[in-house]
Amino acid sequence: MTTVPTTDVPAAPAGPGGPGTVRLTPLVVRLKLSLLRNGLRQSAGRRAVYLTSLVLVSLFAVLQLLGLIALRGNAHADSVTVLLLALMGLGWAVMPLFFPGGDETLDPTRLVMLPLRPRPLVRALLAASLVGIGPLFTLCLLVGSVISVAHGAAAFAVGVLAVVLGLLVCVALARAVAAANTRLLTSRKGRDLAVLSGLVIAVGAQFVNFGAQRLGAAGGLDPLDPVAAVLRWVPPAAAIGAVDAVSEGSYGRAAAQLLLSAAALAGLLALWTRTLTRLMTAPDASTLNAAEPAAREKAGRAGGPARLLPAGRIGTVVERSLRYVWRDPKTKSAWATSLAIGVIVPVFNALQGTGSVYFACFASGMLGIQMYNQFGQDTSAFWTVAMTISSPRDALAELRGRALALLLITLPYATLVTVLTTALLGAWAKLPEVLGLSFALLGAMLATGAWSSARFPYSIPQEGYKNVVPAQVGVAWISIFGGMIAAALLSAPAIAAAIWLNVSAGGEDRAWLLLPAGAAYGAALTVLGLRLAAPRTAARLPEILLAVSKG
Amino acid sequence: MRVHGLWKRFGEQIAVSGIDLVLPAGRFVGLVGPNGAGKTTTLSMITGLLRPDQGTVEIAGHDVWRDPAAVKARIGVLPEGLRLFERLSGRELLSYTGRLRGVPGAEVDKRATQLLDVLDLAGAQHKLVVDYSTGMRKKIGLAAALLHNPEVLFLDEPFEGVDPVSAQTIRGVLERYTASGATVVFSSHVMELVESLCDWVAVMAAGRIRADGPLAEVRGEAPSLQEAFLQLVGAGGRSAGTDLDWLGGGGR
Ligand SMILES: Nc1ncnc2c1ncn2[C@@H]1O[C@H](COP(=O)(O)OP(=O)(O)OP(=O)(O)O)[C@@H](O)[C@H]1O
Ligand SMILES: [Mg+2]
Repeated sequence: MTTVPTTDVPAAPAGPGGPGTVRLTPLVVRLKLSLLRNGLRQSAGRRAVYLTSLVLVSLFAVLQLLGLIALRGNAHADSVTVLLLALMGLGWAVMPLFFPGGDETLDPTRLVMLPLRPRPLVRALLAASLVGIGPLFTLCLLVGSVISVAHGAAAFAVGVLAVVLGLLVCVALARAVAAANTRLLTSRKGRDLAVLSGLVIAVGAQFVNFGAQRLGAAGGLDPLDPVAAVLRWVPPAAAIGAVDAVSEGSYGRAAAQLLLSAAALAGLLALWTRTLTRLMTAPDASTLNAAEPAAREKAGRAGGPARLLPAGRIGTVVERSLRYVWRDPKTKSAWATSLAIGVIVPVFNALQGTGSVYFACFASGMLGIQMYNQFGQDTSAFWTVAMTISSPRDALAELRGRALALLLITLPYATLVTVLTTALLGAWAKLPEVLGLSFALLGAMLATGAWSSARFPYSIPQEGYKNVVPAQVGVAWISIFGGMIAAALLSAPAIAAAIWLNVSAGGEDRAWLLLPAGAAYGAALTVLGLRLAAPRTAARLPEILLAVSKG
Repeated sequence: MRVHGLWKRFGEQIAVSGIDLVLPAGRFVGLVGPNGAGKTTTLSMITGLLRPDQGTVEIAGHDVWRDPAAVKARIGVLPEGLRLFERLSGRELLSYTGRLRGVPGAEVDKRATQLLDVLDLAGAQHKLVVDYSTGMRKKIGLAAALLHNPEVLFLDEPFEGVDPVSAQTIRGVLERYTASGATVVFSSHVMELVESLCDWVAVMAAGRIRADGPLAEVRGEAPSLQEAFLQLVGAGGRSAGTDLDWLGGGGR
């Protein structure tokens, strides 16, 4: 770091008590503790959640510790610990993307105004990051791993170093990813990259899935060894690799692995410092990139496909929704993830030969999720909508527009994925049946999604990387998971019909009936769901506005 | 416009405690009060964006909460602290809002062009609103509120962050608009502005109306609205400078 943005702030010489000599680290740790305490004091629900998770995690950590100690001496102990640690590292890297609440207490961008140099700040924030449930759990895992693989005094000595290094690498990894992600989502350029992060998550999840399947198929721990042989060179697992190497007497390898871990830590810290400095000096790069008037002109005119939309409220809403899918980073990355998972799960599974045509329903299931919390996606701009809804009829038009926008993407996509999956599996006879099921499921998701949008709205914070504000986590869970269970129940008749046609004699000849029946059932569910949701929406406008304005 | 017994509390805090207010039609009404007085809360409840705990609001003879269709068609709102659809360009935002309001498409486009011209936003009409400055956001919000030619306009701090030239333009637009019989209710902290624009003033403090009526009546004996305001909210004697003696002078 050559440029220190804040040095010119204090005009007076930094004498005793100047910003250079403040003991920043204890200060920030105490700040984090009091933020944590105040957050818990605020609501009994949050306190309960926090205490429950603390107890559960501690219990799990202790069990794991015992398990790892029991593993000592086992032939596969080294592979298992290395793999566990690699998974832990992966968890730390991915966690800020999904559960940023894990370290919400310290948002470095809040410290922008203070005259702090990046280096002490990073040190202090890193120390503060070590306070919490996650680091405690990681510590237990690391200690257990060292006990399980270390043989001899030298190994235990290296083990202490390994524990410290491993923990710091994990925490630094999480902070670096979180900071990078914040930058990603706050800059306008980043919205295209946000799509990428969705894809990475989808593909990564699929790989973990395959790994688990392989392991299950092999029926033993042997297939772990080659994977572990690679992973023991990847920090933070490299730290445990070093302990294992010392136990086996290969000191050169141990030194290399320790060095690698230290280098990773240094690299992560440098990356984090860089992102942090840029976050703090240029918090709003978005305004720099002015729109291209000519290009916008073309896109802005209601030309081309937009003209095909129905006039009136429905068409207006469809147009706006589709624009948002493309332009709003949060919406865009949610769609990208859904689209990616929707095709990856059925197609990859088909390619692996483990698939079933029924996996194709994943596409409509994943995309149907986008119907949930429709108004939360508007943020407090929902007031514009609220001001123009004065009757259930307006609300119905609004909901229909949003459902139509979703269908414009989802219907062709789900059909395509289903056809692709059946083609890969060569199960053409099943195509109508699976399509019918897909449509029924989509209808059920749209219906429940519309209803829960009206009943359980919640805010999606626009700044930063969170998807739910802490106070509304409960509502979000009810909305999405309750909605999905309801959708599954609603599509049960279609599933039952499919099963019945498959098991009954001669039923296969009539399986094509499921296509029109499923489509009709899905359409009926959608119409009904929207009709039920509309009066609720119209009656609850101020409550919805309040709920979605917390971001 | 009539407000009766309006009441709202947030947890422990009573933001608005029993407001009764009758405002004449066709006037320029100013709502003033210190920070946290409850102006935004009151305006949100009047415009149907926030459900009051108690009380009724009647605009042009229609109850806001019982007959929202009649009221919402007649009012325009520029709220404070709420977002716009920021990922639309200025023109797209106007076109979207106008069509949601049920104004025919061609008419929306015509009015949007004129409003963008008058408010000096024509050059930025294809930029996304997310890239607008504070004052530009106020102006595009005002344009969206005017688009459907409402009978009553509610503006929460419309001049905040607006440059002097645009402020003059906005004044001109609003004055012409009230002259044709429409009503404007706006909140502001700039007393000079309120004094020169409004012919009716309501002063709020701590969730209550301290005074309301024609400008001259509220001002009373005081030389200016500023003085009258300071007396009404009980801040006449408070002055800076007794403490904070370390402030300034170059030391630390
Ligand atoms: N959503 C909310 N939750 C809790 N308290 C609130 C909320 N909205 C407003 N308040 C409180 O209600 C009171 C009135 O707030 P309001 O925003 O109406 O004031 P105001 O007169 O508009 O102030 P300003 O001039 O600063 O805009 C304040 O004390 C505020 O803290
Ligand atoms: Mg206010």
